Amino acid sequence: MTYRVAMDIGGTFTDVVAYDETNGTCVAAKAPTTPGDLAEGVFAALGRVVDDPAAISFFVHGTTQGLNALLERKGARVLLLMSEGMRDVYHIARGNRDRMFDLHYRKPVPLVERYATAEAGGRLDWRGEELRPLDEDAVRAAARRVRAEGFTAVAVSFLFSYVDPAHELRAGQILAEELGDDVMVVLSHQVAGEWREYERTSSAVLDAYTGPVVRKYLGHVTDRFAERGLGVPVQVMQSSGGIVNAGHARSRPLQTLLSGPVGGTMGGVAAAALLGRPNAICVDMGGTSFDVSLVIGGRPDISNEGTADGFPVLMPLVNLHTIGAGGGSLAYAEGGGLRVGPESAGAVPGPACYGRGGVRPTVTDANVVLGRIDPEWFAGGHMTLDVRAAHRALEPLAQELGLSVTELANGICEVANARMAQAIRTLTVEHGLEPGEFTLLAFGGAGPAHAVEIARELGVGEVVVPRFPGAFSAWGMLGTEVRRDLTRQFFTPGDALDGTAMAAALAALGEQGLAALGEQGVDAVRRRVEHAVDMRYEGQDYTLTVPLHDAAEPSAEGFLGRAAARFAALHERRYGHATPDAPVEFVTLRTAALGALPESVPAPYTPDGDDGTWAGRVGRVVFDGVRHDTPVLRREHLPAGEEFSGPAIVVEATSTTVVPPDAHVTVDANGFLVIKLGESA
Amino acid sequence: MSKPTEATGRPTIDPVTTEIIRCALLQAAEDMNTTLIRSAYTPTIYEAKDCAVALLDRDHQVLGQSSGLPIFLGNLEECTRATERMYGRDVWREGDVWVLNDSYIGGTHLNDVTVYAPIHVAGELIGFAASRAHWIDMGSKDPGGSMDSTTIHQEGLRMGPLKIYEGGLPCLLQHDLIARQVRFPQPTLGDMRAQVACALTGAKRLTEIVERWGTETLAAARDAIFAQTERLERKQIAAIPDGVYEASGMLDNDGIDLDTPLPVTVRVTIDGDRMTMDLTDCADQATGPVNCGAAQAVAACRVGYKLLVSGEVPLNGGSFKPLDVITRPGSMLAAIEPAACQYYYSHLGLVIDLVVRALAPALPERAAAASYGDSMIVQFTGLDPRSGKLFVSQEATVGGWGAWAAGDGESCLINNVNGSLRDMPVEVLETLFPVRVEEYAVRPDSAGAGRTRGGNGVVRQYRFTADQSLSLWWERSVTPAWGLFGGAAGAPPRVTLNPGGAGARELLKANALAVSEGDVLRCESGGGGGFGPAGERTAVQVTEDVRQGLLTAARAAADYPSWSGERTG
Repeated sequence: MTYRVAMDIGGTFTDVVAYDETNGTCVAAKAPTTPGDLAEGVFAALGRVVDDPAAISFFVHGTTQGLNALLERKGARVLLLMSEGMRDVYHIARGNRDRMFDLHYRKPVPLVERYATAEAGGRLDWRGEELRPLDEDAVRAAARRVRAEGFTAVAVSFLFSYVDPAHELRAGQILAEELGDDVMVVLSHQVAGEWREYERTSSAVLDAYTGPVVRKYLGHVTDRFAERGLGVPVQVMQSSGGIVNAGHARSRPLQTLLSGPVGGTMGGVAAAALLGRPNAICVDMGGTSFDVSLVIGGRPDISNEGTADGFPVLMPLVNLHTIGAGGGSLAYAEGGGLRVGPESAGAVPGPACYGRGGVRPTVTDANVVLGRIDPEWFAGGHMTLDVRAAHRALEPLAQELGLSVTELANGICEVANARMAQAIRTLTVEHGLEPGEFTLLAFGGAGPAHAVEIARELGVGEVVVPRFPGAFSAWGMLGTEVRRDLTRQFFTPGDALDGTAMAAALAALGEQGLAALGEQGVDAVRRRVEHAVDMRYEGQDYTLTVPLHDAAEPSAEGFLGRAAARFAALHERRYGHATPDAPVEFVTLRTAALGALPESVPAPYTPDGDDGTWAGRVGRVVFDGVRHDTPVLRREHLPAGEEFSGPAIVVEATSTTVVPPDAHVTVDANGFLVIKLGESA
Repeated sequence: MSKPTEATGRPTIDPVTTEIIRCALLQAAEDMNTTLIRSAYTPTIYEAKDCAVALLDRDHQVLGQSSGLPIFLGNLEECTRATERMYGRDVWREGDVWVLNDSYIGGTHLNDVTVYAPIHVAGELIGFAASRAHWIDMGSKDPGGSMDSTTIHQEGLRMGPLKIYEGGLPCLLQHDLIARQVRFPQPTLGDMRAQVACALTGAKRLTEIVERWGTETLAAARDAIFAQTERLERKQIAAIPDGVYEASGMLDNDGIDLDTPLPVTVRVTIDGDRMTMDLTDCADQATGPVNCGAAQAVAACRVGYKLLVSGEVPLNGGSFKPLDVITRPGSMLAAIEPAACQYYYSHLGLVIDLVVRALAPALPERAAAASYGDSMIVQFTGLDPRSGKLFVSQEATVGGWGAWAAGDGESCLINNVNGSLRDMPVEVLETLFPVRVEEYAVRPDSAGAGRTRGGNGVVRQYRFTADQSLSLWWERSVTPAWGLFGGAAGAPPRVTLNPGGAGARELLKANALAVSEGDVLRCESGGGGGFGPAGERTAVQVTEDVRQGLLTAARAAADYPSWSGERTG
């Protein structure tokens, strides 16, 4: 027996999914995360699906170590070394604000205090030509400060290092000589080889801040697995949706920042492929969270930059949009009107029905009042909900608004669904697509409870609840590829383009990428590279990433015209207009090196035997203001090919699917619930 | 769903439908804003977010609005109203798109162009989609806008209501006219198309809303939404003690006569749940370009009001109902033809700060001391020897914000007038323009002292790598950011050409001043005011500011007499 194993180590639970290579079956399990010694929870979860670590042929996991260190401000003590005159670039942070009517606005508190920034003389111009040599004594002085004041990491960010990294490399060398291996040294051009000094510095600081924590963790996990007999490298999910081995992740820890949740999007990619659908809206709704991401044309929606807790990062990352607060969103009255969210009850105290001291009504409480969540079977029976507490929480608000408790509960869900749907519509429209062109894929504990109503609001005709909705991120990690991303700034107006130079630069990136895959142990036949270039109209700032056929394309006759036409078509689709004759600029070259994993051949889905204990179970559930007798079904009992119409509630260990009266469910060959919405939608 | 009540015959509507429609209208405005910002050509729009969008009903009431720039609040409807006043209601035809930038209608300078389109469903007019955005050049006598214009006729192309699309097709004659008047036709028309795309997005969204709920239900929801907003705001105002509150400040000068400051007074009257802001007591319209149309003075008062009364609550036609603004035609804040309006916003920033200052005694918890002011423009233009092309670089400068009861003011932050503008990265600036940045740093000792202190200003020092011309518009040196409740004022701004050298020259305003390769320009923006007596700041806090390098020991000793060196406790 050999297994491929994926694990999503979240804040509360560790989810594990194992694929048995010998028979193509999958199993999932869950164990509490053990923050003190993560390995304990990891092996507890693993033990539920695989007896012998030596039987594991592939192991990937998603970790929130870096993100937690950031959110809890428990990262390294970082000294920041900047170019002369530029020490405050990180603290000025581009001087913008995101709330317009706040007299008390403060920027996010920087991860490096101002006194912990130093400068070194030396300056390049915009072409990378040296105006003044690096002041090596200043670098050595910084190293002495690191030792004297006990800093545990150094971030170096010099102007124009993305054009010529010589000064940063030399500073890195000096720091390594002076400080040895104990202090992590991060060079900005290696984290983000792009212009814009604040964003690049912020990326380098984030790497330095979270890096030591992630490195220590990866070292620990690798050692513990080796002790237990794991014979293959530990792989880690990256924010880009690809995986790398732990050895590489230790040298670029920042790329693991969103390691956990992107598994869901990659699961969306895999599920969309199984279903034969090009586009999917991935809705991951937990008790108090709601994340949306998109699969377009079979690919994850990836951006080349993003933010983490208010700090910009220049790296490829799957676009995860956090919308409202999901089931934790609070309902309240304002000026005599009903409001739902964005304020949230959070995990503590949580919804009133959790019985943890919450008294204000939430979306989850409304679901309980409507009978859409089975109070006895919440979180697979691990938690019982207090129905009366939910009623009590809704009563005062219902009175204030002149509604019955049931009407209010219905209204809270309708408003919450409408808001979620509106936010999703904005996302798809930003890509030049209407929601009707997507399948909605629902997972997480609460996603399948709201999915059909959200789809109805959106005009989406099909909702799919995949298998293991509560462990979907882990399942998704099994279907990804090894991925390394390389970038190079290549700013040039279109009319000054040196196509040969661009082709040579791309070829070099491609070779680096293929070599990196080799280091990852990817077979030569499974390696490939994809090239693209960021373009814009002269005068624009935002760029669009334009795919290239291959590295040599820019050197071909007529490339400028073809690239401009491709860019104009993308611009038209994305923004609704284009100016085909306007001059264009090239900004950044992007190369992704991808290594496919061996194919998996899933076995046909077979349900657990129906032991008859759930036969005839019926709930009283409100749909459109009317209580319906509604069968409650165990998902594990439903065979492939089974069909039924709503109303119905389908429960399973980690999730509940709500099927309204006009929806129709088919269990497909993969065991997915495929829900078609009624014509009346 | 709506049904007629027995008493009035008017439809009533349940709170759930109302809320779903309210969210849909807000999202529609957000979608318009996203379309505009993401597809704009010039950084003034996508970076500075020097723009605003609104979805209006057929009676020009705001259904939803999203504003990048706070001072564009709630006056886009002036453009559709003015058009209807001139040409009658029948002028609105399906598929038409209009443009307008007249300062005396829109209130701002000619660069702010409003693009608006009527929305029809089944042949019936149901509303309007409008956006306003800053175009980089309108063909004024100096590139990018003059700092010394004395009539609006020097400030470029001025358009009353003008059709740019008819029946869905572009009006080529008008496009050609615009292209010939402005210095950068390609990006300017690109921005105009982005505004048209924005209007189409708004039209599509409002049409969807009307088709789903019907005009009756939408009207009922609108009335309920407006009533909610008005109720909320009246409650906030009623909580403010009745009385007359007043504050005054000075604009440095009008850019022509540099020795004469221009006074501005804001008199706020609270009477029950109503608020009146009286701006009549301000300077007459000036020779230089510091005038604005009345619509913009109203907008500035609304920003001050919003900062204190309704915060981030979304805007709609119910907003500002309890607020009256009184202006005096022919004054700097209600200019009439042919007053120059290019720098229409410096005194608007001042008005916003004065509203807060006036009401501070009544709202000490919500108020804040003054910030460093407004844009602090640094503009370079010339021929770039690297490309041989004409360039215009226009930057606003960040500075210190005022302290408030519970916190220190932020340092190096963009001002109220500039919205969410991001500064220009040094690496981008040096790549695009023949200039080098030698220093970009916090300006220590510029914060106003107090129990809580102001934020620090910034230092940005440039060296020109080619001959070019320099324009500056810096303000707030006569009344720098004041403190509140005993807090000290922040340091005033300072701009020096070739500091330290024999030819060193201090200047805050300049129009197209010739500078040479190698010249250095050092810009230091002001700090924010302090809050409460400096004597009440703890030694630990003072020591921490010294440790972080935000305050020198010498200045700490001077500002905080009870502090005695690097001790803690």
